Amino acid sequence: MSYSAPIVHRAQKREQEKQLPGIVMSFTTLAHPPARFGRRPRQIGLIELQNGRRVLGSLISDEPFIGQQVRPRMRLSHVTEEGLRVYEVAYEATVTVEIPQKFSRYILAFTGPSGVGKSTITTMLAHACSDYAAKVPILTTRAPKPGDDGEYLYTTETEFERMQKAGSIVAVTRIPSSTENRQYGYRSTDIEAIWNKGKIPLVVTEMGLLQGLARHYGRRSVLSFGLLPPGRSKRARLSQLLHRLRARGRETEDNIHDRLKNAERDLAFFGERKDLFDHIVVNEDASSLVVSLKKKVPGLSGASV
Amino acid sequence: MQKDIFLAGSGLTRFGEWWDKSLRDLMSEAIEAALASSKLNARDIDLVVVANMLSEATNNQAHIAALASSLLPHHPPALRVEAACGSGALAIHTACAFLESGRAKTVLVLGVEKMTDASSDAISEALMGAADSELDAPSGLTFPGIFGLIAKRYMYEFGLTREQLSIVSSVHHKNATENAFAQFRHELSPEAVTASPFVSDPLRLLDCSPISDGAAACILSTTHTSGMRLAASQIASDTLSITERPTIVSFPATRMAMSQALREADIERKDIRVLETHDCFSIAAVINMEDLGFAKKGEGITIYEDLFAGRTPLFVNMGGGLKACGHPVAATGIKQLIDIGKSLKRTSARYGLAHNFGGAGATCGIHILENTNV
Repeated sequence: MSYSAPIVHRAQKREQEKQLPGIVMSFTTLAHPPARFGRRPRQIGLIELQNGRRVLGSLISDEPFIGQQVRPRMRLSHVTEEGLRVYEVAYEATVTVEIPQKFSRYILAFTGPSGVGKSTITTMLAHACSDYAAKVPILTTRAPKPGDDGEYLYTTETEFERMQKAGSIVAVTRIPSSTENRQYGYRSTDIEAIWNKGKIPLVVTEMGLLQGLARHYGRRSVLSFGLLPPGRSKRARLSQLLHRLRARGRETEDNIHDRLKNAERDLAFFGERKDLFDHIVVNEDASSLVVSLKKKVPGLSGASV
Repeated sequence: MQKDIFLAGSGLTRFGEWWDKSLRDLMSEAIEAALASSKLNARDIDLVVVANMLSEATNNQAHIAALASSLLPHHPPALRVEAACGSGALAIHTACAFLESGRAKTVLVLGVEKMTDASSDAISEALMGAADSELDAPSGLTFPGIFGLIAKRYMYEFGLTREQLSIVSSVHHKNATENAFAQFRHELSPEAVTASPFVSDPLRLLDCSPISDGAAACILSTTHTSGMRLAASQIASDTLSITERPTIVSFPATRMAMSQALREADIERKDIRVLETHDCFSIAAVINMEDLGFAKKGEGITIYEDLFAGRTPLFVNMGGGLKACGHPVAATGIKQLIDIGKSLKRTSARYGLAHNFGGAGATCGIHILENTNV
């Protein structure tokens, strides 16, 4: 039996109507699909679409099960002998992030520009949910400063590089500044120690560290929050940061200037790498933000502030 | 039935892979055997109904009714019917309509399929013509795939296990050892079925009926009587595509044809002791037991477990069913009626039922044969 061009075109038109999410009613893997689909086994699902219609389509899922949620994806199915490219709607299992009950391999990350309140938020969270979460100390090569409140572990440049080479530092970033050149990172031992206690590691990150964590532990192991200062425009947000940094009184004007430059880059990063964030939230008022964050973090909703 | 219709003769070729036999050879062989088994002369036949699904796709032969007619000396009028794997039952049903109306008095019903000349890819593609070419086939599904979907869903809904399902083919193979016309006459253990390669998960190679060549012919007559009378002939239809059905673990066409057939024969289900059912895939046999009313929903396998253990008064697929006897698509429905006749004689039971369907139960034909000597 042949599939001539008009048949293929009509079938393609019908494929458009299949572009809806649905659930798997049944599935099978054909060891020998029809020759035009190639020689590889083909997984096919009977899908009930959102509108109640049932359709058959190729199923993309490593572990399919009846009742699985799937989303449509248009893809090239095969090329006919006449050179006609035939597209099909395949159904892809939606990623279900399994939240482990004990949070054994799971990191809660906060990313945002300097002055947005990352440290305040994580300290409050760690304090409020001390049975569930603990802050991960940041390893740094910079010198201790009066305003530091125990969140840093200090080390030398040489020692830092040695540990990095040994692979015991899982995420590293170098924050450029006009006055110094300092490195920051997380040690895997610190993160794993928190996991072993059955708690969620809380990390204060910036873009380099966040990418490092996602790369090392897998993106799905990081529940990632982006923190924005209040304000509708970039200008309003930056002026908020400036105001907060000055109010903190820890930094010199030169440092503040550097930090603002980096902050501008960080804000742009939110837009460029949306994939690295699960939630982007505005820090208008720290305590109400902590309350709303707890609702977004599975397992923390039970903890009292 | 509006008239008494008798099974006046029947003939089969052995089902299998026959390199040296053409469509014409297979038909001739079955016709000759049918005539030889009857008291009729070839010229008594006043109509031929031919069941065939694939002759264009596999043999470059359309107009197969005329080909069948040309095999008889007087070239009686002939017509062809097609309902995929249910073609055989449809041909018998069509013949009954001619006989009941009085348009014909003696009809030769002939089912034939010559499948092994084509590559398995071509056959698989051609068989998929029994499903919806626009709703089902573009996904790349094949018939084993359709029944794979059905089996997966059935296991999910009713908890049938892989090991239980393997009993079905084993029972059919055991029955075929005594059948001289069967394609496979060896026994098969359930373990061997479970260990055979996957075809369409969860179905394995030995869950599937084979590709076969073969022909079956029977002579139905209102004037030439015999001890075998047709008590009912019913067909029913369903949607062609499984996507348009509310459930895929039951075939409503079977249920409808069954209740109509029992009413027509004016008997109860328990009067039937001999049964031929359409086991194109093992899971179909399980579902059929439920749709035919011999088991409750979800419990069809218990019939096969009882057959396997030899603790049921029912005789099911005594010739080996489609799995072991072979499945030359359109010949199957006619072979079933012939096998029912043989089983009724052998068991001295009064009623036997042949259940034949096309596609995934989109056409279902049921015939009840009465042994009038009992």
